Amino acid sequence: MKTILVIDDSPTIRASVEFAVKPIGMDVKQAENGKKGLEVFSSLNSSGAELGLVIVDVNMPEMDGITFIKEFRKSDKFTPVLVLTTESEEDKIKEGKCVGASGWMIKPFKPADLVAVVEKLVR
Amino acid sequence: MIKTDNYREGLPLYVIYPGEHFFTDQRCYVNTVSGSCLVLCLYDPHLKIGGMGHFIVPGTLGTEGIYADEIAEHGIYNIELLVADFVKRGGDRRSLKAKIFGAGYVVGGAVSGVVNSNIRFIHEYLQREAIELMAEDLGGNFRRYLLFKPHTGEAFRKTLINNDSNSEFVKLEKEYIDSAFRNKEIKTNYLLFE
Repeated sequence: MKTILVIDDSPTIRASVEFAVKPIGMDVKQAENGKKGLEVFSSLNSSGAELGLVIVDVNMPEMDGITFIKEFRKSDKFTPVLVLTTESEEDKIKEGKCVGASGWMIKPFKPADLVAVVEKLVR
Repeated sequence: MIKTDNYREGLPLYVIYPGEHFFTDQRCYVNTVSGSCLVLCLYDPHLKIGGMGHFIVPGTLGTEGIYADEIAEHGIYNIELLVADFVKRGGDRRSLKAKIFGAGYVVGGAVSGVVNSNIRFIHEYLQREAIELMAEDLGGNFRRYLLFKPHTGEAFRKTLINNDSNSEFVKLEKEYIDSAFRNKEIKTNYLLFE
């Protein structure tokens, strides 16, 4: 079973994403900011879990989503990263693409649309 | 949103309208009038920053938690916009305090099932996010005039028992609620990169 790592400082958003993707048979791990996300990624690597996708917010305390992607890409160039955020400015989206994001979804999201995108990215 | 200079104590007043949110790191007053809508006042007492959101969850919630409810996404999104401004200024949602108002059963407002769902939504949201609730005044069959000082977290509420149904706020809130219900079907915007 592949794992999705969901990084968002909102427990409600993390729960919404987990609720949406659970039915498609993905294991979900959660983290509350980019720094914690890197720690969870490291422990997943150590345990031999197969990471299929990272879903990450942009505006978070301690480490934001853009910085997380930069750091994550130093160790993992291939696992897709979907940014899920309220940010819709073109410059921010370009920055996300430049640092290695695979897609950008703007909140609010319809659970069925999230599942469709997840299935596209996790092949 | 409109701004008036030198409202009280030499501070400006920002008036926000239904469907708007406002965040500031300045010393000021923020005002709105609420009927059926929720008004969320959020502040960080250490950073002395704060903001106000005026919105409605356009429908009735199901029996599961708000995280599993598509209609609740509208309320979550409205609050996320406000909280994102705190985080951009170095804030953390776990340090935020909340005061909540509105959700009145008023003539010309939302039906009681929607009002009840909004009250349930805001309580469950704040609990899930561990945002401390400092004061609340919800329900009742009247509108509320609200004044908030974001830098101190002080909030003042006046009930409007004989509110003029032709007032600007009443009309604007009705228009906003009608629009929120018309557009309650979420259209997800996303982009996949090569």
